[in-house]
Amino acid sequence: MAEAAIRVQGLIKRYGPTIAVNGIDLEVRKGEIFGLLGPNGAGKTTTLECLEGIRKADRGRMTVDGCNPQSDRKELRRRLGVQLQSSSLPDTIRADEAMALVCAWHGLPPRFDLLRDFGMEASLKKQYHALSTGQKRRLHLALALANDPAVVVLDEPTAGLDVQGRAQLHDAIRALKSQGITILLATHDMAEAETLCDRLAIMIHGNIAAVGTPAQVTATGRGETRIVVRTINGSLLQGCDIGNARFTKASEGYGEWMCSDAAAAVIDLLRKVQAAGDTVADLRVERPSLEERFLELVEGGGQE
Amino acid sequence: MNAFLLHLWVQFRMDARERGTLLTFYAVPLIFFVVMGAVFSSINPTAKETLAASMSIFAVTMGAVLGAPIPLVKMRESGVLRAYRVSGVPSRAVLLIQEVSAFFHLLLVSAVIFAAAPLLFGAGLPRDYTGYFIILLIYIFASIALGLLIGVTARSQSMATMLSQAVFLPSLLLSGIMFPASMLPKPLLWLGRIFPATHAMQSFSVLAYHLKANYSGALALGITACSGMLAMGIAVWRFEAAGREELG
Repeated sequence: MAEAAIRVQGLIKRYGPTIAVNGIDLEVRKGEIFGLLGPNGAGKTTTLECLEGIRKADRGRMTVDGCNPQSDRKELRRRLGVQLQSSSLPDTIRADEAMALVCAWHGLPPRFDLLRDFGMEASLKKQYHALSTGQKRRLHLALALANDPAVVVLDEPTAGLDVQGRAQLHDAIRALKSQGITILLATHDMAEAETLCDRLAIMIHGNIAAVGTPAQVTATGRGETRIVVRTINGSLLQGCDIGNARFTKASEGYGEWMCSDAAAAVIDLLRKVQAAGDTVADLRVERPSLEERFLELVEGGGQE
Repeated sequence: MNAFLLHLWVQFRMDARERGTLLTFYAVPLIFFVVMGAVFSSINPTAKETLAASMSIFAVTMGAVLGAPIPLVKMRESGVLRAYRVSGVPSRAVLLIQEVSAFFHLLLVSAVIFAAAPLLFGAGLPRDYTGYFIILLIYIFASIALGLLIGVTARSQSMATMLSQAVFLPSLLLSGIMFPASMLPKPLLWLGRIFPATHAMQSFSVLAYHLKANYSGALALGITACSGMLAMGIAVWRFEAAGREELG
């Protein structure tokens, strides 16, 4: 098993009487993109801030690339890159000045190459207020990488971006992974989590409700697989259950079934088609999406 | 280049691009100096004698007390401080850079006033130039410290504006820079002594211009310096405490 880049054990954080993070355990492996999902107020940002060393945990142990973020913040700044959910820079600072400044505080020469890599060559001399939302996000991402970190924490990096900006940022995040950088990504965007993350955790009310690969997380729970079939002669459209598959509707020549065991249901359906002397024209098996699984968990308050 | 010096250089460049900074530190004080210099020197010829000092006190008070707090509050509200913190910029350095850059601007505008006052209005020259500039440096430091204290104390920009006005207006009216403090009723005279501007004016009169005044110039200068150091100490403490509070 790959070594852990981030390890969290029994993390507890309270704000007065409110428990924001309720004793969670988490492990992010080296070189993976790990997603942290959850509704607003689930404790994602608090967890990230404890890992970033900018919020004090009440209890629990944490390591980021072998370093304790609560007690060794100087070392943490060398190993960790952070893009905050709500961060800004002075309106009149230029992109190149911001990079030079951050690098100087890390004791490094300016990394203008990062700005170029993120497509900001034409915006190097632009002041912060004149940058688009996408450019600001990319600038913050570039600044997070200025110290050549082993681990990067991204808190909702694509929030407020248009489709193109989102795609560019996704490419940038994939490029970081290909360089061996571990990425902890908090996001509300299920599609983003499903396509980008190697593994993910869903946080609800300060607890981890589910953890695993996107496929593992969607496979658990009561979410059923949808099977949609169209045959040449329409032999399956009478509307009957087949094996463990429950018929739900027929529409525009397609029949739809819901089932918990997709493999068995598909075999049963194909047998039925064959027995009727019919031929399959189109067959689609749709697993429950991460969003459906997420909503199921949220509605259940994080309980299975 | 050293990170602090680079940050300071970037701060100067940002200030030069920021219209608000240019207005508060340069445009308004210099316009006020030209207008009020003309008024003071015509209605009260004795005001000419210390015009450079009184106008410098006005410019410094305005820049430091009205100009310095808002950027600090804005930085906190907009998340700039958090962004700096996770990028490895020390909190104290941020505060110090604000102090040093404001110091530079106020020194520059005070130098312009010092040079222009005799030429434009026939203002008197100090008897002791070294004393004049020592008092000026101490007063700039004390005023900025007060401005930063307002900036780290205020929870919002509107609160910072209110606190700034609560310091700026009495500093202007009760310190003796617009009219002699001896004309004030006793309670207001004493109220005026809360503000460093009063003691700075006293110091300039006694130590730089060798004029008679109500109390010792050295004592007034000592009070100015001590109030500056106290304000700065509290500002640093409040700034770091606010950071800890924010981070819980």
